[in-house]
Amino acid sequence: MLLEALIKIAILIGGLMTAAAYLVLVERWMAAWIQGRIGPNRVGVPLTRIRLFGLGQPIADGLKFILKEEYVPAHVDKWLYYLAPMAILTAALAAFAVIPFGSVLPPDVSFPGGEEPIQLVVAPGIDVGMLYVFALSSMAIYGVTLGGWASNNKYSFLGGLRSSAQLIAYEIPLGLGILGVVLMTGSLRLEEIIGAQAQSGLWFAFSQPLGLLVFSVAACAEAGRLPFDLPEAEQELVGGYHTEYAGMKLMMYLVGEFLHMITAAFLIVILFFGGWHLWGVTGSSNDVNWFQAIARILVLVTKILLVVLLFMLVRWSWPRFRFDQLMALAWKVMLPLGLVHLFTMAVLSEYAERWAGGAAPWVIVGVGWLVAVAACLVAGTLTAVSTGNQAIRE
Amino acid sequence: MNDTPASDAAVSAVEATAQTFDRGDVGWIAVAVVTGTLGLWLLLPPSGAKRRLSGMVLMIAALAVLGAARLIPVGDWGYDAMYAVLSGLTVVAAVSTVTFRNPVYCAIWFALTLLGIAGLFLIDGAQFLGVAIVVVYAGAILVMFLFVLMLANPSGRAAYDRLSWEPWIAAPVGVLLVAIVTLTYHQAFDTGDTAPLPSASTEALADGVLANQHVARLGNQLFGRYLVDVEVAGVLLLVALVAASAIVAAAPGEPNNSKRAARGERP
Repeated sequence: MLLEALIKIAILIGGLMTAAAYLVLVERWMAAWIQGRIGPNRVGVPLTRIRLFGLGQPIADGLKFILKEEYVPAHVDKWLYYLAPMAILTAALAAFAVIPFGSVLPPDVSFPGGEEPIQLVVAPGIDVGMLYVFALSSMAIYGVTLGGWASNNKYSFLGGLRSSAQLIAYEIPLGLGILGVVLMTGSLRLEEIIGAQAQSGLWFAFSQPLGLLVFSVAACAEAGRLPFDLPEAEQELVGGYHTEYAGMKLMMYLVGEFLHMITAAFLIVILFFGGWHLWGVTGSSNDVNWFQAIARILVLVTKILLVVLLFMLVRWSWPRFRFDQLMALAWKVMLPLGLVHLFTMAVLSEYAERWAGGAAPWVIVGVGWLVAVAACLVAGTLTAVSTGNQAIRE
Repeated sequence: MNDTPASDAAVSAVEATAQTFDRGDVGWIAVAVVTGTLGLWLLLPPSGAKRRLSGMVLMIAALAVLGAARLIPVGDWGYDAMYAVLSGLTVVAAVSTVTFRNPVYCAIWFALTLLGIAGLFLIDGAQFLGVAIVVVYAGAILVMFLFVLMLANPSGRAAYDRLSWEPWIAAPVGVLLVAIVTLTYHQAFDTGDTAPLPSASTEALADGVLANQHVARLGNQLFGRYLVDVEVAGVLLLVALVAASAIVAAAPGEPNNSKRAARGERP
């Protein structure tokens, strides 16, 4: 049992760290492409002229971070200054304990004393998986607030406060977006949520578009990606809570934030796009052969990559919100939309079977889209988010 | 989740404690309580480095006495090790919460206490409670505290941070509470001459908190048997929310800052 868990943890952390490093490279390529530049394409094999499209860049970046001077300003609160980046990275990594990175392996292989078949998740059978991810994402607030406070610098502190307010505000729509899925599957286990979509073949993205919208926007805000990157806002606001950090500690912050985005991509794919399921390729039961087992991993990874690419495209396409717009979006738009979604799904999960019988899935899809479009139209006309550039007067 | 009314459980807990006192542990417990009280008093705020050091030594001694007297290994070494680490962490963090002078550090220690408690819930199979305590307390309520503390006098130099109120009442009551809870808890596992407590039979546990689908069962209980309680709690929260908004909206004599800023005045 212990050995099995340790091996899975090693695979997961190794994979995640490598993926994070290379996704940064992808992001820089994407930025260059959007801005009409060439981007990092030079670092290849050292001491030769082989460039390899710049694939050596993440290694060079990592070396730079490690070799940089570990400068600690004299005025900081030492203990909390060291604790904060550790807290954010630990929370970001620990969330992956319940997130499946595949389905199951065929019964040909097994660990002595372990469960059969081997499930591709570090801690299988956690009944509160979804809530566990939530708990850890709420722990990330500590890293941000404490980092800002411990830096003993007003810019950092204000950055920390801004960021915490944003994270707390968007946690509520994040939860409301998930509840529809939980209602329909009746389980908080991520494996079972994927299983339910694979069995029916109907991904929740089709039946719950409003939930997908609310959840994606909230997840983007939780990850602090560009339309919502008020916490940092390098250009106007110095860099927020990690202004006073350098070297490895800064890297821990940056990796932690990047992992939040990857977590968000995992959750969007698992909750709304069927996880490892693809019609006609992966099958839907737990009896798998090797082809299906590997296909499931590849399908999951591909979907996650697509969502991550979408996040990056969004980052380099849109300007950032003003802080009052950000808060208005959370409390006046996303929260009501989430409540409408929850109400619709609660009614449908209770009455769709009874009213429509065999046609229930179609009723759910139809009503889901109808409510989503109507709610978005109403929200768009009712909420007058101020877009002018004047000071707000009440 | 058990069917025993709370009063029965309380009565049996008291009986269990009384029986334990009869069995001659009273000496050890008294030693632990006296040492712990003294240690906690020495640790409490108006204290210098020497007092704090001696207080720490005394607290460790008290915990060691209490642990040695009452800790009964379950037999599974992994569980025992996790239990010892988590409970030790929880108690140390809890003591630090009340003894540190800087309020921000106190809040962080409190967060660590909550994490320790969540871990204890998790290793005993109460997954929902363990995760809920982190989401609700550590993730929401404590963050609000932290905001206020950070904006208040931050470095623990305010007068109200430098002394503790009623240390001679607080210290013994706290230590006594830990001693009684430890005794009661281990009474349930003691298979000696006393009958086990009626609440913790294996079948009930397997059917309840340890069940595979325990969130679903918890939901059934909450929205079936305890529906009224849940709704009362919900209404209470709503009332508090409405009241808070009303207070904010009708704060007397407090001109709105943004209005004053718009008129060009300084707040």
